[in-house]
Amino acid sequence: MKILGKQKAVIAILFMLLVMLFTDSNFYTAGNLFNLLEAVSTNAIIAFGVTLAVICKGCDLSVGSVMAMSGIIAIILINGGMHMALAIILAVLSGGLVGFINGFLIVQQKSEAFIITLGMGMLVQGVALLLTNANPVSASNPSFQRISGESWLGIPNIALFMIVLGILTFLLLRFTSFGRNCYALGGDYEVAEHSGINVIKTKWFAFVLTGTFAAVAGVLAASRMNTGLPIAGVEIPLMVNCGVVIGGTSFAGGVGGVPQSFIGIFAMFLLRNCMGMLGIHPNVQMLVLGIMVVLIIALDCYAIKRKKEDV
Amino acid sequence: MIKQSQGARLRIVDFLLEYLVLIAIVALILITAIVSPRFLTVDNFINLMRQFGPLSFVALGMTFIIVGGFIDLSIPGMISLVAMVTLMLVDTIGEIPALIIGLLLGTTMGFINGMILVISGASTQAKALFITFGMSLIYRSIALIITGGFPMNWGTLFEHPMPVTRTLGAGTLGILSHSFILFLFFLAVLFIFQSKTFLGRAIAYTGGNLNAAELGGIPTKRIMIFIYALCGFMTAVGAIVLFSRVSVTVPTVGTFFERDAIMAVVVGGTSLLGGKGSVLRTVMGVSLVILMSNCMNLMGVNTHMQEVVRGAILVLAVWLDHRRHERG
Repeated sequence: MKILGKQKAVIAILFMLLVMLFTDSNFYTAGNLFNLLEAVSTNAIIAFGVTLAVICKGCDLSVGSVMAMSGIIAIILINGGMHMALAIILAVLSGGLVGFINGFLIVQQKSEAFIITLGMGMLVQGVALLLTNANPVSASNPSFQRISGESWLGIPNIALFMIVLGILTFLLLRFTSFGRNCYALGGDYEVAEHSGINVIKTKWFAFVLTGTFAAVAGVLAASRMNTGLPIAGVEIPLMVNCGVVIGGTSFAGGVGGVPQSFIGIFAMFLLRNCMGMLGIHPNVQMLVLGIMVVLIIALDCYAIKRKKEDV
Repeated sequence: MIKQSQGARLRIVDFLLEYLVLIAIVALILITAIVSPRFLTVDNFINLMRQFGPLSFVALGMTFIIVGGFIDLSIPGMISLVAMVTLMLVDTIGEIPALIIGLLLGTTMGFINGMILVISGASTQAKALFITFGMSLIYRSIALIITGGFPMNWGTLFEHPMPVTRTLGAGTLGILSHSFILFLFFLAVLFIFQSKTFLGRAIAYTGGNLNAAELGGIPTKRIMIFIYALCGFMTAVGAIVLFSRVSVTVPTVGTFFERDAIMAVVVGGTSLLGGKGSVLRTVMGVSLVILMSNCMNLMGVNTHMQEVVRGAILVLAVWLDHRRHERG
């Protein structure tokens, strides 16, 4: 209940769901809800990883490119005749490696998170283009598509993956010393360091996990479409980071969590889906999305500013 | 004795770190000149100079934002909207008024960015990053909506001749192209502004330590709005130079300009931590970026490999910047 009270995003979601009841559209059909769930799932998996980075007072803008690269690596290895499980593990590890390098530069070398990850995003994007020569690749093995293409009890597999990973991340943050240390060092880095937390190791590991989650999302997305697309663009990482913040995981660090991030991502993609269903032109959709991002982040900043002035 | 030699070594390392861009530029020129004989030709020189186009203007504006301790991702949107609005107005109100309105529009958009940041109290780079990203989406979608997504073709579409734009795009004075001369003009003005005026130095104080600057009586809020407006103006100039060179301009023309501009500024050695840097460093950064792609093109490096190299150089430059900062 406490989460709900603080959540502007929940109110937005309820409002949108209510509005869609009264419009003459196909929103409340199984097909559309299925689509919405699939779109939310991929991005929510990335968002769970990004949540870790944001709680540690960082952010990760390389996740979009990592997602593209890992899907491509998985498909290329499978097409090359490698065993599917091994190929997927290697693809996921490649994301972990990018996260490891990010973590090294940001935490160990104390560089600015957003610009380092922006640069790494460029680099990884280049690798993805290089691997495929800028053409989409598709997997020759049909069982690869089954990983997230099938559904269980009417729920798409990709959503099940999302739920499992979400619960795991939630438990990790809530019930392990790693998770609590993340909150501690996000809240106050120096205090955490002086109270004996190995801040470097903890934050570094958070970035490794962020990269890994993005890679998992990449493999699942590639499996759903049976295609690896080399171009991720700058929109995915920024939208996911914004979604996390909209949910209430603040850039101030040390607050937030998995449920909040999921709500934020859900609100963003619900808005997209609703506008699509209402037949709003994509360009106008982009305008509304931009206004929403500016409004919510500006309000987040304004709330922090007011709190500071009150004290 | 040992101490002295250590001191000397430290000084050499500091010197190398400080002038790394310059060393990289010289090294790049030497290597390319040896590998590719085409590099040292007049044609290639003119070609290189022409590349000092839109990016260099945008990077000059971005320098002030980064020195002020902030960041601006709204550049792609601003470039697109300025280019589209200007080109649409040429037919109805004539070329010169349209160009003036384009410049005013850019300045206004920068002003709006600054106002939103100041009112919401966004005082860190990360917050500014996301707010300006949202603004970029807004500006770009407006550009797409007003044009319906169609490209503007000023070469054939317009009744109205555009002599000023045409001269700016293709004209030369001796071997110097007009856009390069315009660039030198802005460089001189902004250099004098940055190093000789109170406002120029106040920007650096604000970026160095926001709280201290505010306590010291510097109007930091007005300075924030000013640097964003300045960046908007320079972006508008960049947009005009951009469409003056090509006859067809698409509404999404500004994509990736923010990335390249940040890269040019940081590679030049202006610190992302704010407070330190100069437009002259940005010129070096822009030169390095341009030289790099020229060299890679001459050597026949794969385009995608170039992307990898560019990302690696950005990461390396940021990392070195922080190393430099750590050393004091």
